[in-house]
Amino acid sequence: MALKTKTGSRERSRPNIPTASMGDIAFLIIIFFMTTSIFSRDKGLKIVLPEIGEEVKIKSENIMTVRVSPEGKVLIEDPVTKEFQVVTVPEVRDLVAAKLAANPDVAIALRVSRRAPYQTMVDVFDELKMAKAERISLMPVREEEGG
Amino acid sequence: MKKIAKKRQSRPDIPMASTSDIAFLLIIFFMVSTVFRRELGLQIAVPEAEATERIIKRRNVSSIWMDKEGRTTINDNLVNPGIVTSVMSEWIIDNPDMVVMMRADRDAAYGYVTDVLEALKAARALKVTFATDFPREEGG
Repeated sequence: MALKTKTGSRERSRPNIPTASMGDIAFLIIIFFMTTSIFSRDKGLKIVLPEIGEEVKIKSENIMTVRVSPEGKVLIEDPVTKEFQVVTVPEVRDLVAAKLAANPDVAIALRVSRRAPYQTMVDVFDELKMAKAERISLMPVREEEGG
Repeated sequence: MKKIAKKRQSRPDIPMASTSDIAFLLIIFFMVSTVFRRELGLQIAVPEAEATERIIKRRNVSSIWMDKEGRTTINDNLVNPGIVTSVMSEWIIDNPDMVVMMRADRDAAYGYVTDVLEALKAARALKVTFATDFPREEGG
């Protein structure tokens, strides 16, 4: 009898729930969320478009035209002869950087043919960015005006 | 004196009771910061560029998708440049800081891209980003 009451009181006095594994459960859920969540990888090349009607007059000597032909060839205007010369994409950076060093006010006009691949346009735009060109204008080319 | 010293050495215990609190805090952080993508978009391969920058404020970004053939979608709806203008001019009123993410395929003809850019100009959505990827090292 005495023994029975003793065990009874012991059972009532500490009804304990094991909380030691709570952390394990929580970490399991963390790992689940960490592995299933996809960080959206938004990255790209920024540009600010001009407003319609906002036409800034730039002196013709401050404009450097870069063209991309329908075949994806890159052409740069020669400053002396005013003729377009075919260059490779990596050459654009040095040519533009040299031009900017000589005249910091230079604006780059990028005229890309409608049929040129988008990748080529991005390649050239990338080179202009890498040359630290600030003033880049994407000139819409109507139908093929020559080259 | 001796007794106290003995007691201190005998149980060097670290409180483990609050580990689950820390863990749940981390859970809540991840749950709140996770954004589920609602837009499916199109199957595209974005061009590669060295000068690629990350965009920090994701909430301001709205995307325009364009595949190789020039099919353009916004929020998984097929659109043409005229609709781009009307949709974007509404969104730019709701959020003047909106950045338009131009997700075009690298093999798309540039003409389609320039049409969308003109449509964005008409909608006065002037902040544009061309979605690009960092160049892969050769062999990939």
